[in-house]
Amino acid sequence: MNPAEKLFLQLYLNHPGRYLLRFSFIFMVLGIVLSVGILAAGLNLFEGYERALRSLLLDSFPHISVQSVNRDYLDQDQVAAIRQDLLAQPEVASAIPTISFNAMAYNGSKVRGSLIRAYDPNPGGADHYSKYVSSGSSRLETGKVIVGHYLAQELGLALGDTLRLVYPQLDRITPLGMYPSEHSFIISGIYKSGYYEYDRSQILCTLADAQSILYIQSSTGSIEVKLKGTYVDDAWEISRNFDRMLGNGLTAFPVANSGLLRVVRMQKWLIFVIFCFLVLIAGINIISAVTTQILDRKNEIAVLKTLGATPPTIRQIFQNQMLLVCLGAIVLGQLFGYLLSWLVVKQDFYHLKGDVYFIDRLELYVSPLNQIIIFVVAAILAVICIRIPLRRIDRMQIIDLLRNP
Amino acid sequence: MIYLAGYSLYKAYYDQDQTIQVLKNATLEVEEGDLVVITGQSGCGKSTLLHILGLLDDPDQGKVCILGSEVSAHQASAPSIRNREIGFVFQFHYLVEDLNARENVALPMLIAGNTKHSALARADELLQLLGLEQRLKHYPNQLSGGEQQRLALARALINQPKIVLADEPTGNLDPGHSREVWQLFHKLNRELGQTFVIVTHDPELASQSDKIHELKDGILI
Repeated sequence: MNPAEKLFLQLYLNHPGRYLLRFSFIFMVLGIVLSVGILAAGLNLFEGYERALRSLLLDSFPHISVQSVNRDYLDQDQVAAIRQDLLAQPEVASAIPTISFNAMAYNGSKVRGSLIRAYDPNPGGADHYSKYVSSGSSRLETGKVIVGHYLAQELGLALGDTLRLVYPQLDRITPLGMYPSEHSFIISGIYKSGYYEYDRSQILCTLADAQSILYIQSSTGSIEVKLKGTYVDDAWEISRNFDRMLGNGLTAFPVANSGLLRVVRMQKWLIFVIFCFLVLIAGINIISAVTTQILDRKNEIAVLKTLGATPPTIRQIFQNQMLLVCLGAIVLGQLFGYLLSWLVVKQDFYHLKGDVYFIDRLELYVSPLNQIIIFVVAAILAVICIRIPLRRIDRMQIIDLLRNP
Repeated sequence: MIYLAGYSLYKAYYDQDQTIQVLKNATLEVEEGDLVVITGQSGCGKSTLLHILGLLDDPDQGKVCILGSEVSAHQASAPSIRNREIGFVFQFHYLVEDLNARENVALPMLIAGNTKHSALARADELLQLLGLEQRLKHYPNQLSGGEQQRLALARALINQPKIVLADEPTGNLDPGHSREVWQLFHKLNRELGQTFVIVTHDPELASQSDKIHELKDGILI
């Protein structure tokens, strides 16, 4: 860097109030703050949404399911053997026997389809749902169920009420035809995960109650495998290994909804690209401000050229000043974006539609990597917009500048 | 030794359908230690001549030589020649408003690639020589017209140029400050042997010099 460029840069850095806070920069700064703010807010909210969805999906769903190839129930010996094999694998965090099936839940004239998921209530059984139980007991007990809060709401039920389940037994046909089995349970807890599909349909009960509904003796439908954190993204590959390891009659398949997560991630970057165009529009203000600076400081350009400064040196002096203003505005924009996204999360007059967006609340997450990407992309766009009008300095003739001060 | 010379210089300006021929075969040679004054009526082409000699503009015809080598305003080395070989003082001083007195004076040395420390030290020496040692940290708008012009002179001298070109240096000053600045040029010429080419339309000030040329009808007399 030429010492003259360094002198100006030091002045700008040492006295930003005198050299950088100029009225002529106000619209440029406002444009950058707004556009970067919207970009940052969009990315903060989408990052929050992606993380919330990912956390919910991975917490609520098993990552891999193991069951018999022809969907027969597994007896206790089989379950014990399979669990032993699975738990010996380094990737496996837990292997929980479960039964899941669809049934009709009703209360008076209100009927809703539901997904029953049954677990062993004893220590060592499942407890991943307990952190989502918003009221009542999180402990599974015989004759009691934990119900998704939207399902309870739609059925008009609350804690302590009786929920009725109807399950059509296709293999139990009476002389009067197919007769569904009907069961009653007391609601001991309300489940509120934020994942709409679960909160709208899920009913949790004990393995014994599920076996009673299905008329099966101490059998299990499948084994839910949860992987340790770092292995979750490799669920597909790991399930194939399990498939080979478990041998004939059993199959393992991934159930983590990685496709959905990939779509959400893609949407996030699509939003980022679209919002980058806003920064580009703010770039028009930058071009305008730099052009004004060049015209306002014609005398200075003439002096510098007369004293022997080359056009690249003069361009660099102007670029340094404008870039410092822009970088300050970008940082301000990122702070504004944080404030904006925080306000959006805290507001209480608009809620996500859970049936459309899977989750019904907005989350905010400020990822340092995203902030760096926003800063770098906005800074690159700013540099381009600063350099375009600065080319004009090369064409300015000293003599014209001196004769028309 | 001839430091600076312009031979058979022609320059015309074109205004719509009118051609104004300001220089017609003007020739000037400036030797080491000269203090050359160019006078003439307003608009006769004095500044044009100075701009051509200072490599700020090119003549339509003719050539400019510095130390015997032909040079042009559009050659790649022109900025470097303007920086190292020539010092400029203008009527409107053209100081950089964002820089204080020291920094303004040091600027040509910094452009030449010298360190800030050495440039500021040399600027302090010159400002002391020109009686501005109390104004080191002042910005141009905090100085009087005479002080601003002395500051411009200090800036012109900092790279120890072969020649200083001054275009109406007292044109914007009251008589008292004009005499003060003019005496300064003579002092620097006498005591340091600094070569000057000064353009003025003030005959009284011009008469104090030994080498006076009048630009009349585009020709130097």
